[in-house]
Amino acid sequence: MNRVPPDHTPSGRARLIRPALVLGLLWALFSTPGCAFVRGSYGEDVNQGDLSSIKKGVSTRGDVASVLGAPDRIVEANGHEIFHYYHFDVKSGFILIFSRTNIKSDDIFVIFNQAGIVEDLVSGKKKPPLEFQFWPFDWPFGP
Amino acid sequence: MTRTIASLLCALLLIGQAACLRGPIGWQRVSLNQRIAAEDVRFIIDGQTSLAEVTARLGSPDEMVAVGDHVLARYHFTDGKYFRANFGWGLRFLIPYYSPDLVLGGGGIGTDIFQVACDAQWIVRDHAFATHANSSEFRLLPFGD
Repeated sequence: MNRVPPDHTPSGRARLIRPALVLGLLWALFSTPGCAFVRGSYGEDVNQGDLSSIKKGVSTRGDVASVLGAPDRIVEANGHEIFHYYHFDVKSGFILIFSRTNIKSDDIFVIFNQAGIVEDLVSGKKKPPLEFQFWPFDWPFGP
Repeated sequence: MTRTIASLLCALLLIGQAACLRGPIGWQRVSLNQRIAAEDVRFIIDGQTSLAEVTARLGSPDEMVAVGDHVLARYHFTDGKYFRANFGWGLRFLIPYYSPDLVLGGGGIGTDIFQVACDAQWIVRDHAFATHANSSEFRLLPFGD
């Protein structure tokens, strides 16, 4: 019987080690986690149409509550009552070993005078929409 | 309260990601809102600018607090960074049934606050920055002072 002896020469060992290394690297790559994109929010996103129905000097607490619901928080300041409505938006991206989570708050404040009539509505400019990002560093793309 | 809700949301998302974060190394970053720069608030003139003008340019504040006869409108920017390296991760290839973790890592959270103080007529009386966001950094070694 002609049995081929195992190749123990340095070049033969290298031929075995290289594929093993490649396989090992591939296994390591695929055994590390893949990617995830997650989104969450807290509170309702109020549109400008809803807010335009709240009139300064006219609308009462009840009117505001019927449009925006009960406030998340009430602040007393300078004899004024301030209704605070929360809205948070979260986007999170995860790829291999990098993860970045961005949170945006767009709150609404309704300020009432001592008679319980809307004196001011603080909603301001809407913040720009959040982006899904995974790169956690400031460089080379900026923060 | 604002930070509590933001933290809860973050915690929920990060718990969801925790299953993914089992690799040998990982960088994580969490940001709340966008940083407000000094140039963005140059238009504010104490004693003249109203809160409505401020919110029209910067958006609504994250918090309104009553202090004496003033109301403080506060804008938050929070930046958190965390790094971890699991030096025991490679052992799974040598000891498949028991691979102990050896994790070193660290990070930090810093918050910038832009604060506007308004009087009873909602006119800005003064404004100021508190900058601590740069205190957050990725750290490899948790040791030391």
